[in-house]
Amino acid sequence: MGTISSAFSLISGALDADQSALSIVANNVASANTPGYTEETPNWQENSPIQINGVFYGSGVTQTGATSLRDRVLEERLNQQQQMASASGARLAALNSIQALFPPDSGSASATAGDIGSDITGFFNSFSSLEANPTDNALRQQVLSSASTLAGDVSNAAASLNEQRAALDQDASGITSQVNSLTGAIAQLNQQIQSTSPNADAGTLEDDRQQDLSQLSKLIGVNQITTENNGLSITTTSGQLLVSEGSSFQLTTGMASGVTHFYVGTTDVTSQLASGGGELGGYLTARDQDIPSVMSSLDQLAYSVSTQVNAVNNTGTDLDGLTGTVANPLYIFNQPAAVAGSAASMSVAMTDPNQIAAAGLGQGTGDNSNAAAMANLASQPIANGQTPANFYSNFVSTLGSTVSSVQTENTAQNASVTQLQTQNDALSSVNLNDEASSMETLERSYQAASQVFTMLNTIMASALNLGDQTAVS
Amino acid sequence: MEELGGSWELKELVAEASRALARLDADRLEELALSCQALNRDFAPVSAQSRTDLVRQACEADGEMAVFARVLEATRANLNVMNRLRELRAGRLEYGEPQARDWAGTEGRHGDH
Repeated sequence: MGTISSAFSLISGALDADQSALSIVANNVASANTPGYTEETPNWQENSPIQINGVFYGSGVTQTGATSLRDRVLEERLNQQQQMASASGARLAALNSIQALFPPDSGSASATAGDIGSDITGFFNSFSSLEANPTDNALRQQVLSSASTLAGDVSNAAASLNEQRAALDQDASGITSQVNSLTGAIAQLNQQIQSTSPNADAGTLEDDRQQDLSQLSKLIGVNQITTENNGLSITTTSGQLLVSEGSSFQLTTGMASGVTHFYVGTTDVTSQLASGGGELGGYLTARDQDIPSVMSSLDQLAYSVSTQVNAVNNTGTDLDGLTGTVANPLYIFNQPAAVAGSAASMSVAMTDPNQIAAAGLGQGTGDNSNAAAMANLASQPIANGQTPANFYSNFVSTLGSTVSSVQTENTAQNASVTQLQTQNDALSSVNLNDEASSMETLERSYQAASQVFTMLNTIMASALNLGDQTAVS
Repeated sequence: MEELGGSWELKELVAEASRALARLDADRLEELALSCQALNRDFAPVSAQSRTDLVRQACEADGEMAVFARVLEATRANLNVMNRLRELRAGRLEYGEPQARDWAGTEGRHGDH
């Protein structure tokens, strides 16, 4: 090989490589504000050495393409955290709406709209008042009025829960088309990536695919599996295939037991999606677990109060001297047939206040022993081993704990997403911060936060033990 | 809690620490650590009123502490992931694995040109 042409080749190669690298840098700068764009760096390949007069000389480099500064492991963790944050966010919104239906017991005997705790107190107190003057018509009217308030608030709450369940069902169903659109787009991008760039980074095509995957992660819980030639398969978190390289599998819906179920092919994946994450996971958890659980407690309360009060009233003597019979029972509430559905159907059956059986069996109409027995139900463990007021109070408290716990999870998951996004930006976006500095910040933050946590924990423990301790060592 | 430049409730302090950790504000967290150090050192409420007040603040801050604990836990998990990635990249550099695929990450930045 001639020396001048070799040297020229070496220089021109270097110039070409530099020019190519400059184009990549220019592209990075131009795309700095494009969402999801990943910075590219030039790849350099050493050329074969040149032999001149028996001595080998390096022949420079050739720019062989660009590699995006992406990291699938980090992106996958970001997507997973995003799925969890979206799920807890959607569930939290639903739980907040549910909680608004059940204000804690105000402690007042005077019933306020929706305050079931006060309704319970007011209802049983009305029997205590009647006990003092069992023939008083106004006091008898007050019993029916407070029964009506209690039944109305319970059935309204049940109706609102059913409405919320239907709204969640609609929200969940509405996600299907978005999921299908995204999985279809990812399959298409897979094909393009595999055909145009099977052995190298596919640059913006991979950015587009990552953007779609990120959107998909907000909607449902997915796992991603990297396949040959830069391909990507996507499954639900329990392994149901949604995208296999160039093919996507549609999510379809159908009604079952009054709610929307989700299918891939003929497989019902509803419960898988509920536990998987994403907004859909949150909606389905609220629809299939939280609301049924709340409804079940409300049903139990309605069933216990209705059946127990009816049973006691039915065994007493009313103002007309009558006692309940199988054919003509003296029921204050409509008698529920089963626990399920009791809350929604809770209503007052009695219209004549004279039918309140304040007197005991075989006693004169001026007797008050049965009114006392009904007032006494307030302190009896008639609702799953608890008094009605305690049952309601514990149910509201449990609901509050669930809301608080999901709120905590959601805050932590959103914080984690923010942190990972920062790390991902430092690694893959057009950003002046380099990765090392970003890692150092993460480490510093964690160490400082650990110190803050330890000290706050000590301060709080000491504060809570102040009775025994006056200072912290 | 005067060290923070105002009359802060314990609850607000914990919430601020969670927010700072979420956005990885190391400077703010180090500032909070110094404040907590001072608070811990001077922790000796003398009057019954200040004791009662501190107990109330501690009870009220309980929920925020749970959040802070979870954010800290998530941060530790994220830090582990980032450390593993760093080791992975360092290993690839050390053993000279080809960087054809995107996995190679930042070593392309410092190629042998």
